[in-house]
Amino acid sequence: MRVDTTTEIGTGAGMDMSAARPQLTPTLNAELVQRLGGFTTLCEGLDYAAQGQTGMNFYGPRGLLEVSLSYRALRKRAIETAHRLVNAGVKPGDRVAIVAETGPEFMAVFFGCQYAGIVPCPLPYSMYIGGHEAYVSRVAGMLESAHATAVITTAHLEQLVREAGQRARVKKVWNHDQLVQFDCTGAVLRPFGPEDVSYIQYSSGSTSNPKGVLISQKAACANTMSILRHGLKIKPTDRAFSWLPLYHDMGLVGFCLSPMMGQVSIDYLSTPAFARRPALWLKLMSDNQCTVSYGPSFGYDLAARRINGDAPSLKLDQWRIAGIGGDMVRADVLKLFGETLSVAGFRTTAFLPSYGMAEATLGVSFADTSEEIRVDVIDRTAMKQAGEAVPSKATCPDQVRQFVVCGKPLPGHRMRVVDEYGNELGERRIGRIEIAGPSLMSGYYQNPEATAAIMRQDSFMDTGDMGYWADGEIVITGRAKDMILHNGRNIWPQDIEWAVERLDQVRDGDVAAFAMEGANGEDRVMVLVQCRLRDTAAIEELRKQVSAQIVRSIGIGADVVMVPPKSLPFTSSGKLSRAGAKALHVSGDIAEIAGGFAGEAGPVAIAAE
Amino acid sequence: MTPEDKAIFDKLAELLGPFNEKGVELKPETEIAVDLAIDSVSVMDFVMEVEDHFDIDIPLNVLSDTHTMNDLVGVVKARVNKA
Repeated sequence: MRVDTTTEIGTGAGMDMSAARPQLTPTLNAELVQRLGGFTTLCEGLDYAAQGQTGMNFYGPRGLLEVSLSYRALRKRAIETAHRLVNAGVKPGDRVAIVAETGPEFMAVFFGCQYAGIVPCPLPYSMYIGGHEAYVSRVAGMLESAHATAVITTAHLEQLVREAGQRARVKKVWNHDQLVQFDCTGAVLRPFGPEDVSYIQYSSGSTSNPKGVLISQKAACANTMSILRHGLKIKPTDRAFSWLPLYHDMGLVGFCLSPMMGQVSIDYLSTPAFARRPALWLKLMSDNQCTVSYGPSFGYDLAARRINGDAPSLKLDQWRIAGIGGDMVRADVLKLFGETLSVAGFRTTAFLPSYGMAEATLGVSFADTSEEIRVDVIDRTAMKQAGEAVPSKATCPDQVRQFVVCGKPLPGHRMRVVDEYGNELGERRIGRIEIAGPSLMSGYYQNPEATAAIMRQDSFMDTGDMGYWADGEIVITGRAKDMILHNGRNIWPQDIEWAVERLDQVRDGDVAAFAMEGANGEDRVMVLVQCRLRDTAAIEELRKQVSAQIVRSIGIGADVVMVPPKSLPFTSSGKLSRAGAKALHVSGDIAEIAGGFAGEAGPVAIAAE
Repeated sequence: MTPEDKAIFDKLAELLGPFNEKGVELKPETEIAVDLAIDSVSVMDFVMEVEDHFDIDIPLNVLSDTHTMNDLVGVVKARVNKA
């Protein structure tokens, strides 16, 4: 037996903060040989990692280490939690939803479910000023869709989660303190085997129609192995850092499952703590000499802007992989980050563009880990009119589009670019991206229609994304589906439309929401509202109400355009055509009815496609 | 409004300044996110400024039921007095 040298705090119910300060888990295991995946279940991976000293470390909102949890300690807590869940009446195969707040409690329940053969469904906790109702309805929708048996929450979100549980008629709602009241021994455990499922993820789908991505043990094992071995080329000296939410695929698979399956130590800062103090990301990475971290472009932007004068005091030359995912890679933002942090030794070769989605567990393709980012500059007109990516040397931004090259598909996975009839397209022809391989989800949980809509008969899955091949590497040009990417969040236009349609003066079908690409590649959210009012003051009052409703329910600002009645286009099957509405708005065929706003809409239309 | 409330309100108004791009007049009943149209990322920036200035922590669940300036004054006051 090896002796675990790390100090564990908070392994039981009553956390004793007066005990010795927690100690970081080491980067290197003393004796245990690193195995980069190759396990058949998550439990097998954790059983192996538990033989070493590495593990997870959780930082508080002000950058102090609060809890250190070696993989050995995690395994012990997970097995205890498995007993508690079964003793509490949860049966193998049941779904247990859990608020995915970054901390040891989430880890114990997520992995406890694996040892008990129970399907965990991580829930979001993101919220904003006045976001009570939006959160409750979102969580209730997920609980209903998962047919959850129980939901486990942190104490401070308990009231909201209970409300959601009541709405979804989930009777068993426990906070972590209540869960530990159940006996931690004595149950008969049936851990998931290699042929079983693993978890359900809910970052896909709108609030009104949530879709749970069902991931099998096979997919989780295959994808984490590929990420560790091929995507990130992990070494024993690597140490990870993450502030990404654990209810999102990049946070859960990339920075919880993958490190564990490779016995890599990881340091966590919760997402709200990062949002408040983005510079802590860089400071802690410097303190702990972390080598691997990921974020969406806007995360790099926030951190670069908020580091202020502290950059020279940091040491970031060890940072080997600064991955970018979750939104369109923005070259201007990465440039600012690289310039700001070069004084700390940060190398821009660390930037790693990659491509993936929850429906493929997480990762699909990665660029080369040691190369600079490659930007492909193509002719704007050829792209728009012929669907071709023709390299361009023009310097005028109006004539070109710039896209980041996202590398080759992971070994064992296949990718193709197809036209609207499913014919495979060659080099530099833009089409829909389809993928196949062991990382694909089993399907959307209990939603055969949604699953059938994207699964092809030859085992390929439609990603809904558009792109093209450039010298054997994939380039993503955008989303075919209507989803809006805003500051790393996926926002469904249906959610915005539904919220606005609940206003008294707005009817169903009066609203179209879509994204317009701003000058720097960031999405601006446009909302067209059919308006029957004539009086200018009344129109402005309604515009104000619409904006307020969007902020209240979605937490974002949007450009609200009042348009004439019956101007929004519908498809032959009676569905709103958002792409059509956007095209008509850009061309000026659907215009603002109040004069004052046109000036602002003009430049946007030119900047967008 | 007590003098203590007024002092907190004035400080909050000052901290909100950089986020109040449209120059909306701040009153006790002003709805912070809605009337000022601040998105969720900027709200977090603002909350951090408030936390740092008053040396308090404002949990997410409290934030979700905070709408107006007056609500926030109450939250800050309760947290400051608790500390």
